[in-house]
Amino acid sequence: MENNTTSRKKIILSGLIPFVFVILMVSFIFGPGSEMLELGVPLPEISIEKVIFIDSEIQAVVRNTGPMPVTIVMADVNDRIQPAAVEPDGYLQRFETATVRIPYEWNVSEPYSIGITLDDGLRFEKIIESATYEISFNTDNALLFAIIGIYVGVIPVMIGLLWYPFIKKIKKQSFHFFLALTAGLLLFLAIDAIDEAIEISNENLSQIFNGNLLIFTVIALSFLGLYYAGDKLAKNSTKTTLSRNVAVALMISIGIGLHNFGEGLAIGASVGLGSIAFTSFLIVGFALHNTTEGIAIASLMSRGKMMIGMLFCLGLIAGVPAIFGTWIGGFQYSPFSIIIFLAIGAGAIFQVLVVLLKWIYDENQKTLSNASIISGFIVGIFIMYITSIVI
Amino acid sequence: MILSRSTSMLVILSLSLIMGVIFLSPNFLEAQTERKVFQTHSGAIIETSGQILDPIYSVSEVEFDPDEFLRNFEYGKISVNSEGKTIRDYTIIAEDNKIQEISPGIFYNVWTFNGTVPGPTIRATEGDIVRIQFINNGSKEHTIHFHGTHPAGMDGVFEPVGGNGGKFVYEFEAGPVGVHPYHCHVMPLEEHIIHGLYGVFIVDPKEGREKADEMVMVLNGFDTDFDTENNLYAANTIPFYYQHHPIQINTNELIRIYVVNMVEFDPINNFHLHGNLFKYYPTGTDLVPSFFTDMITFSQTERGIMEFEYDFPGKYLFHAHKVEFSEKGWVGVFLVNDNPNGEE
Repeated sequence: MENNTTSRKKIILSGLIPFVFVILMVSFIFGPGSEMLELGVPLPEISIEKVIFIDSEIQAVVRNTGPMPVTIVMADVNDRIQPAAVEPDGYLQRFETATVRIPYEWNVSEPYSIGITLDDGLRFEKIIESATYEISFNTDNALLFAIIGIYVGVIPVMIGLLWYPFIKKIKKQSFHFFLALTAGLLLFLAIDAIDEAIEISNENLSQIFNGNLLIFTVIALSFLGLYYAGDKLAKNSTKTTLSRNVAVALMISIGIGLHNFGEGLAIGASVGLGSIAFTSFLIVGFALHNTTEGIAIASLMSRGKMMIGMLFCLGLIAGVPAIFGTWIGGFQYSPFSIIIFLAIGAGAIFQVLVVLLKWIYDENQKTLSNASIISGFIVGIFIMYITSIVI
Repeated sequence: MILSRSTSMLVILSLSLIMGVIFLSPNFLEAQTERKVFQTHSGAIIETSGQILDPIYSVSEVEFDPDEFLRNFEYGKISVNSEGKTIRDYTIIAEDNKIQEISPGIFYNVWTFNGTVPGPTIRATEGDIVRIQFINNGSKEHTIHFHGTHPAGMDGVFEPVGGNGGKFVYEFEAGPVGVHPYHCHVMPLEEHIIHGLYGVFIVDPKEGREKADEMVMVLNGFDTDFDTENNLYAANTIPFYYQHHPIQINTNELIRIYVVNMVEFDPINNFHLHGNLFKYYPTGTDLVPSFFTDMITFSQTERGIMEFEYDFPGKYLFHAHKVEFSEKGWVGVFLVNDNPNGEE
């Protein structure tokens, strides 16, 4: 017994000893070895994360994204100095934010550059392509966004589901074609989400957040988390009434739902950023695009019993998140949260893709190299590419 | 025992004093609730719970006082030589390590003659001997190059003066009549000028000029982020200073301004006067005005003398009509008061 406790102590000790050295290593560089850190000249940096246009005033939300504290001392609009105020105050620790209020009689849909100058005279600017009133949160706007969300998310998915009777009647080979087509669609959606997230990260997120690494980290976490949860669901499905294809269809619906949430964010945000023409393109494009998502769910549900209610529910799971997306994107735009949501969506789709491919593989005598599967996959990607051009 | 009691009394007394100061100080009481106000371009009053960032209308002071510089002329230490000529002795010290607040909250490494940007306004009469003991206390080489007439060896170009105490004596006869800039002429020249090594040299005609309320305006700018574009512009260094500190003048009194344009990067600068026109003497070399106008454009180191009088009291703007410059600080106000002596 005594032997046991001493050996356990030894294990704990051996686990702790490297930590002691880590502490020593870190304290060395801040203590006697601090000269190593003093090489080079640190430069202050701020990011103007958001610019809000309200009645007779422009507001800039500024974050200190540099290596040292900074003081905001001056504001300008279009490179012309303006009387302004900074709340709560101009001294910003690392990562701290402040709001600079610039009273200004701005004009709707004109471009503006907003400049912020620090105490050492460095000026940082953000260009707004088209000024527009910040969307106020009220029932009218919430309703409008909900309608857009339904139009973009729910209705197209439901239309896609109408292919259910057609897919149900076709032969096994053709069915595999449709399954592979679904996989192709999903792969495209995932790549599309990553692409979108990287673009937003590059344009709107300070480098200090390592946007691109953040995206891939979140994708990995989302994939692993959902893979684990999905596996549990599939195993339990044998015990419950859910059959395997319903379980997979449910996972696909959730994945597509997350994706549509991201699309809703994009639409809400572009309304928020005032790009009207771009928004209408997004709405039409996404709506067309999303009918294909209905096909994906329908093809999985086509094997097994006809369950209209379940089909409808899956359609809602896939479509309704678009409504929440438009709300969040429109009322609480933040590049950071949009990137996170897009990355979660991409991870979810990869997980669904893996499950789906495994299913096709099992159904098809443990192989994927089959003319109908390969052609389905290619056609799926191609359809998405074509519809994405419309956006 | 008595000592310790008195010590403890002292401690209690000072403690209560400190507490009293803390609690009674307006900052402490109002820290949470205090709301400040500032004015917009359109005159609207805006309230804020934060800090005001307003170099334009909010009265503010920095280390350099443009009001003091405006009417200050350095005539030097005067003596007469054997030929009966007036000698004006000056000492000018160059430095290049000063960090100065050049607009509220904005700090910039200025290079200075006698500690300020612009350097002192040197004033002599035509024919006087100007003798300048130049001491370079900077870390780089510097010189003084005067515009005007002088021997080659006094030109401040081929005689760089080493830093950390290097010395040189510039000596020449003041001329020609007019207003001239002086500046450091060490390469890279632009760098030495934009950091502030310049000033004004006025040569008066022997017969003098008509009595007037005289002032100096150096039009300058600062590129605080080193992108070869000026971030701030001003008359006499501090942006918007004469907007919130209007220059007080009187009706029916001759005003004479010695204007020198030292702005770099931008090919032109200009001066527009409101509610009035001025006589303009380019370079001040002629005693007959060349123009009667309200708008004069300058290229680099172009300068001249303006003369005008206001008939009506009130506030009159003066500014660069290259409006970008005025919206970045080169703007001011003349506050014309009724002449206490009546019509002159």
